[in-house]
Amino acid sequence: MSIKIQAANVHLIEVKLRTEFNDAEGAAAFALLREQGLSALKEVRTGRLYEVTGSLTANQAHQAGKDLLCDAVTQEFRLVPPSPAPMNGMNFWRVEVWLKPTVSDPVGATVAEAIAEGGLQRPTSARCGMLYLLNGRAVKAQVEKAVAKSLANPLIHRVVVTEAHP
Amino acid sequence: MSQLAETNQDAFPILGKSPKDLRAIGAQRHLSLSDAEWGAIQAHFKTLKREPSLAEIETIAQTWSEHCKHKTFTSPIRYTEGKKVRTIKNLFAETIVAATESVKKPWCLSLFKDNAGVVAFGKKWALAFKVETHNHPSALEPYGGAATGVGGVVRDILGVGLGAKPVLNTDTFCFGRPDYKGALPEGAHHPTRTLRGVVAGVRDYGNRMGIPTAGGGIWFDDDYRLNPLVFCGTVGIMPQWAVKKEVKPGDLIVAVGGRTGRDGLHGATFSSANLGADAPSSAVQIGHAIQEKRVLDALLAARDKKLYGSVTDCGAGGFSSAIGELGADCGARVRLENAPLKVSDLDSWEIWLSESQERMVLAVHPKSLKALEAVFAAEGCELAVLGEFTRTGKLEVVHHERTIVELDMKFLHKGLPRVEREAVWTNNHAAKPAGGVTKKAGEALREMIGHLNVCSREWVIRQYDHEVQGGTIVKPLQGVRHDGPGDACVIWPHAATGDMDDFSCFAVGHGLNPDYGRIDPYWMALAAVDEALRNLTCVGADPSRAALLDNFCWASPEDPKQLGALVRAAEGCRDAAKGFSTPFISGKDSMFNQSKDEKGKELPIPGTLLVSAVAPVPDGRKAVTMDFKGPGNALYLIGRTNDELGGSLYHRILGRTGGEVPKVNPASALDGFKALHAAMTRGHVLSAHDLSEGGLALCAAEMGFTGEFGCLLDLDECPRDPRIYSNETLLFSESPSRILVEVKPENESAFLRHFGKSAKSAMVRRVGQTTANPIIKVTGLEGSTCLEESLKELKEAWQTALPRILG
Repeated sequence: MSIKIQAANVHLIEVKLRTEFNDAEGAAAFALLREQGLSALKEVRTGRLYEVTGSLTANQAHQAGKDLLCDAVTQEFRLVPPSPAPMNGMNFWRVEVWLKPTVSDPVGATVAEAIAEGGLQRPTSARCGMLYLLNGRAVKAQVEKAVAKSLANPLIHRVVVTEAHP
Repeated sequence: MSQLAETNQDAFPILGKSPKDLRAIGAQRHLSLSDAEWGAIQAHFKTLKREPSLAEIETIAQTWSEHCKHKTFTSPIRYTEGKKVRTIKNLFAETIVAATESVKKPWCLSLFKDNAGVVAFGKKWALAFKVETHNHPSALEPYGGAATGVGGVVRDILGVGLGAKPVLNTDTFCFGRPDYKGALPEGAHHPTRTLRGVVAGVRDYGNRMGIPTAGGGIWFDDDYRLNPLVFCGTVGIMPQWAVKKEVKPGDLIVAVGGRTGRDGLHGATFSSANLGADAPSSAVQIGHAIQEKRVLDALLAARDKKLYGSVTDCGAGGFSSAIGELGADCGARVRLENAPLKVSDLDSWEIWLSESQERMVLAVHPKSLKALEAVFAAEGCELAVLGEFTRTGKLEVVHHERTIVELDMKFLHKGLPRVEREAVWTNNHAAKPAGGVTKKAGEALREMIGHLNVCSREWVIRQYDHEVQGGTIVKPLQGVRHDGPGDACVIWPHAATGDMDDFSCFAVGHGLNPDYGRIDPYWMALAAVDEALRNLTCVGADPSRAALLDNFCWASPEDPKQLGALVRAAEGCRDAAKGFSTPFISGKDSMFNQSKDEKGKELPIPGTLLVSAVAPVPDGRKAVTMDFKGPGNALYLIGRTNDELGGSLYHRILGRTGGEVPKVNPASALDGFKALHAAMTRGHVLSAHDLSEGGLALCAAEMGFTGEFGCLLDLDECPRDPRIYSNETLLFSESPSRILVEVKPENESAFLRHFGKSAKSAMVRRVGQTTANPIIKVTGLEGSTCLEESLKELKEAWQTALPRILG
């Protein structure tokens, strides 16, 4: 007898303030990163990332993003495609800060509960991360160093820095 | 023969190993066990004729950790002071406990033995108060460390007696200066980052739980840059019938709240060691305030239905400590497979030792289980039966039919070897001040008022919700614009009790000044007690009903000089408690607060003692704030000024060393406090503010700019040592026990009557008056103006110092 193992779906839901709204968290992050030597930085915008693992389909993940994770008045959301973002010089950076798997993620746990209470299949896990979109010339090593000294704690956080679209 | 001996698959071989090998094993597993402790463990298992299991070794290490057993305070000390040598058998018993027993206060309902101290509050109610430290976790991860510090102390209050409802959080911090420009070792956070993270952690946890954060303070000193201190306190209210708890054999062991994960492993042993770069990431946790709020609501509902006989929190050591403590007098049998888990790949010992947050353990009569399940289910809170309390005197833990722990409770709780330590105290301090450059009084005042240890904490305080629950009568920020520095907060807790016509309140104040400790920790301790009590008195609390908490944070007690200083401080606490006739009801110590700096040299923190005090305010409607209330009112100074500038802020800004550290006379201080309290209860006092850092000048300036009225002061009228001929000494001396008081002219004689025959030793003199013009103007001993400053400018300097650095 063969056992068919169903691969879990992993959806990355990104929620950001609409650009017409002032991003206070982004302004605070901007000041901190400049203190760390990223002097060419022009702006930082922030968002939340939710990595939802389980049997949810893309449509169901879309529904969770729309109905549960996003305030439709001030925020916008999207499902982030799994393929890497195309390069765009060194002017725009995408920084993701995630709690390491060994560290409790109360927000993620609450999101998983809320998805189930919303009538969808309960995810096997949900993790919450912080998104920083940096506008300004820098090199990757500089960004990683500055983030580790200001926006993330390497002891508990995993940081992913990639070049990004504006 | 034990089951463990038969099924030895979890064995952790130690028998026959050398001390060197055991030290290596201990270091690898972060066990923080000494050679003597390893020896005691080896001897015990030799008599059992078997090797211990890993879970047993971990259980013993957690239970015997400095964090859980307070070994420094309870072990014998050979103390040398000059040529005198004496042995202290148990520092804690001979100082804090002995003094508390000697003052015999019948309103103390629970002392030292439970998760918090408990005092009566009226006839029906009781107040529970606990202050914890969360230093090592906050150094590694400021946000998570501070947040779980708040979560932990709130659980202490839920776990005292049968549980109290938290009605106030307090938070006191010691940080390196946020404008520190020097180098830091690899992995250390800059003090600014630590400050921001700690404040955010306290804010988020306290605010989300709906508990007002309304008391505390911050002290800056670069020697805290690698080892910040985070003191988290909570006051709870409970019915007096709920103070007692009891575990009975046959009671079920019930775990409630959060699930168990790998987070928080080795928290207790980690906090019993020097902080270094090899700290385990598992020692850091992220709290879940909403989960704890569910536990709080369900637990208090179950308490009122009397559904359990005892409760304690899962803190350091997790289930091992919580169940080990509850079952210490009888025994416990645990089936670990019943524990709800966050992840499925945990080892047995990890489930047993995990310090995952938001968990409590209850002792429940089997007949009450169904009703208890219903109460917790209604709050969406998980509950699991882990086993039962027994009569065996043993701690037995089974995981999926495999015994992983079988320890004798007596060995676990009483088997810790007592090792004598050396302590030395030498007073090297010069009594005569030396060095530094003298400054004009105005210049010195401007500099002091913008000093980091004095300036406004509004940047921090405004982040906390200090109004939630609607009972904060005297707030941390006071005056016409709600931005002046209060002495203590006053809380009306009866929204929680439902006694809406009861106007009795309580106040909480603090005392801390490590600069005095650098000169003499004995006088630092007395000054800290005095400061906490005078802060309470200033807001209308009854100083004769005050109860104290001690929190010692020290560097390595293995250094005889550090331990000598600690002995001095503990003896200062003893003499303060006796002198003020005020009991200590609870406390905590945190040792090994030292790390290697950027050059590899040990950087110890200054010996630090936080004294917290709680006292009833008989009628909250008569509470007093510190801002001047109007022009033309008389200003009285209570307490005598001596030439005591040693360790003062004035000396610090001049760069001066030496001088006499402030010395407390508890008897005369208490007379003054009691007389002032009597005057306040009769409505004879408009405002009152204590003289601390910066002395009289700074105190008057703060009262003035907070009320937006000025004042005229005459130094020749100050009650003082007649040998003082210096205006600066009278302006800036930090002699303790002094309070500046504003009194309406028509009430002056009535006010003074309170300081009559019954309070001869208190010195009180009219030293000036309030004015409409917002300036502080002081006439010196020679009769001419020695200080004249605009209060508006002083306030600006006071308000802008911290935001200018933090942005």
